[in-house]
Amino acid sequence: MKKSGQFDEQELQDLVRRALSRRQFLGRTAMAAGGLALGSSLLSACKGKDAGAGGGAPTAKSVRVSNWPLYIDQKTPADFQAATGIAVEYNEDVNDNDEFFAKIDEPLKRGQSIDRDIVVLTDWMAGRLIKLGYSQPIVDARFPNKANLVDGLRNVGFDPGRAHSVPWLSGMSGIAYNPKKTGRELTSVADLFDPKFKGQITMLTEMRDTVGLIMLGEGKNPEACTVDDAKLACAKIKKYRENGHIRAFTGNDYAEDLAAGNIAVAVAWSGDIQGLSADNPDLRWFAPKEGAMLFSDNMIIPKTSDRPDVASMWMNYCYDPAHSAQIVQAAPYLSPVKGAGLELAKLDPKLAKSELVNPPAELYSRLKVFKWLEEAEETEFNRLFQDAKGA
Amino acid sequence: MAGTAAGGARRSRYAPYLLVAPGVLWLLAFYVLPTLTLAKTSLGPAGTVWYDGYRRAFTDYGEHLLRSFGYSLTATLICIALGYPLAFAIAFRSGRFKNLLLGLVIVPFFTTFLVRTFAWKTILNDGGILVSVLGTLHLLPAEGRLLNTSWAVIGGLTYNFLPFMILPIYVSLEKIDRRLVEAAQDLYCNAQEAFLKVVLPLSLPGVLAGSLLVFIPAAGDFINAELLGSPNQKMLGSVIQGQFLTVRDYPLAASLSFVLMTIITLMVLAYTRALGTEDLA
Repeated sequence: MKKSGQFDEQELQDLVRRALSRRQFLGRTAMAAGGLALGSSLLSACKGKDAGAGGGAPTAKSVRVSNWPLYIDQKTPADFQAATGIAVEYNEDVNDNDEFFAKIDEPLKRGQSIDRDIVVLTDWMAGRLIKLGYSQPIVDARFPNKANLVDGLRNVGFDPGRAHSVPWLSGMSGIAYNPKKTGRELTSVADLFDPKFKGQITMLTEMRDTVGLIMLGEGKNPEACTVDDAKLACAKIKKYRENGHIRAFTGNDYAEDLAAGNIAVAVAWSGDIQGLSADNPDLRWFAPKEGAMLFSDNMIIPKTSDRPDVASMWMNYCYDPAHSAQIVQAAPYLSPVKGAGLELAKLDPKLAKSELVNPPAELYSRLKVFKWLEEAEETEFNRLFQDAKGA
Repeated sequence: MAGTAAGGARRSRYAPYLLVAPGVLWLLAFYVLPTLTLAKTSLGPAGTVWYDGYRRAFTDYGEHLLRSFGYSLTATLICIALGYPLAFAIAFRSGRFKNLLLGLVIVPFFTTFLVRTFAWKTILNDGGILVSVLGTLHLLPAEGRLLNTSWAVIGGLTYNFLPFMILPIYVSLEKIDRRLVEAAQDLYCNAQEAFLKVVLPLSLPGVLAGSLLVFIPAAGDFINAELLGSPNQKMLGSVIQGQFLTVRDYPLAASLSFVLMTIITLMVLAYTRALGTEDLA
């Protein structure tokens, strides 16, 4: 058993390894290439322990980041500037993987700049960018703290050896609700469909989060699902959308509706609840008894960025356990940085024990990672979900 | 001197073309070419059935089409009902407040469309005053709320496009010669008859222009449906946006755009033919 208040890295790693090993993407080559790439990145990581190693002055005075809303604290960008003299242009302009991809696809295809040095995208989308050649290698010489990446996330199928991506944070997709509006405690995916909540439910536009959760509610396993499972889940979503039960499909914007009391229950990301509780302390988040979805969002340097070194310095800064703890304190997701749990226990002992940042073993056993979809399958899943959403 | 005169003649022969050239080039580059590209996209990649996108526009998205035109027509009618009396009052009855009132019509434009629509989300909030007042009066729609209903979307469209109705009607009312109304009254028209026989017909070009300025953008709008509607209020604009950005089915999205454009064009042609366009300018 683990000690209380300590971030349990081993279980997260085991879980992620188990889930990611099922992915077929790059499966055949990943195993062979992965070892080599991992070895070399570790070696280079060991070479320069102190920040600033890697030689020479940085090429730019600022780093331009695109990340999701509610995903960082207020201080870290300013702290980074104080420590390095490099400003952070931090944009919270990722609200949906697909929408963001649609914006950057054309320019990256043509090799044009997208005015970003780091974009943060979920595993499957990060995999797509790397596969399309839209990313460039991380400058390991500027990123000695890469050695702090937890073992379980080091070698993922879509990026063997993490040459092109490192996780920003990992999180869970479950259910958030307002007990004042539901009038009772919720525990399961089935609670989403309680007729009492008609017109007061939202789901996420992120296909894997919503469809995965509904699959779990139907007793299907998203880690090994078929098109039929997707059809079953989407038919259910469509039925409840058409009869007015589901009020909207959202990105992070479910947050304002939940805090304002327009909705009672939302399919929601685990860490958002912290920020929301400031507006409305009653709100709760839980992983349904049938299971919840696990994902990581990854930092990637677009191939057209002309300042990969500065981007890697930002990654390095955020991979310091103390800095990662500071981020997690504001955005309570799962940190991919070794030792961040201990640092968080110093900063905020109460939060360090919360299941949002330190899930107990029992909860881990219920977390699933959506399986890797080949292109044709992905199109089919998206088409089904788009039809279920009604637009 | 003769040479100069001949040069002048040459100039005047080419001058009209030179004058329209920038506009024509602009339209070629930013209207004709994109439209052609879109048309090509709508036919799908080689080896597929070329009309498949167009077929699906009516089979899979017929509901969205009907909704788009239903909402935008309703919004246009409400805009006429609200905008005409207001334009009339500003043109004929406002006296020294005329400029102030016109200014107030335009003031909302100082804030962006998106922010104004977000503001309606707050006003229509389930826990807001408006909902509780209407609830007490038993005036709420069947869903028991305002936000994320058809009425919220129609209301949003009406609000956002109302100034485009008021201003053209105001202009056409403003330029009516008052002596015509006096003449009608001399010929034994009462106020109501003078309005119906003189003012209303002369202001129809304004109503026509206003209707087009409201109806056309409203039919293609997706912001109001996205922010104020639920998934059951999605208009064709939302579908096009989703197909372009999320599903990335470009042929379908392009076909939907063409269907929307064609239907709007046909409706506008029929409408202008019915009301006449001579005075539109």
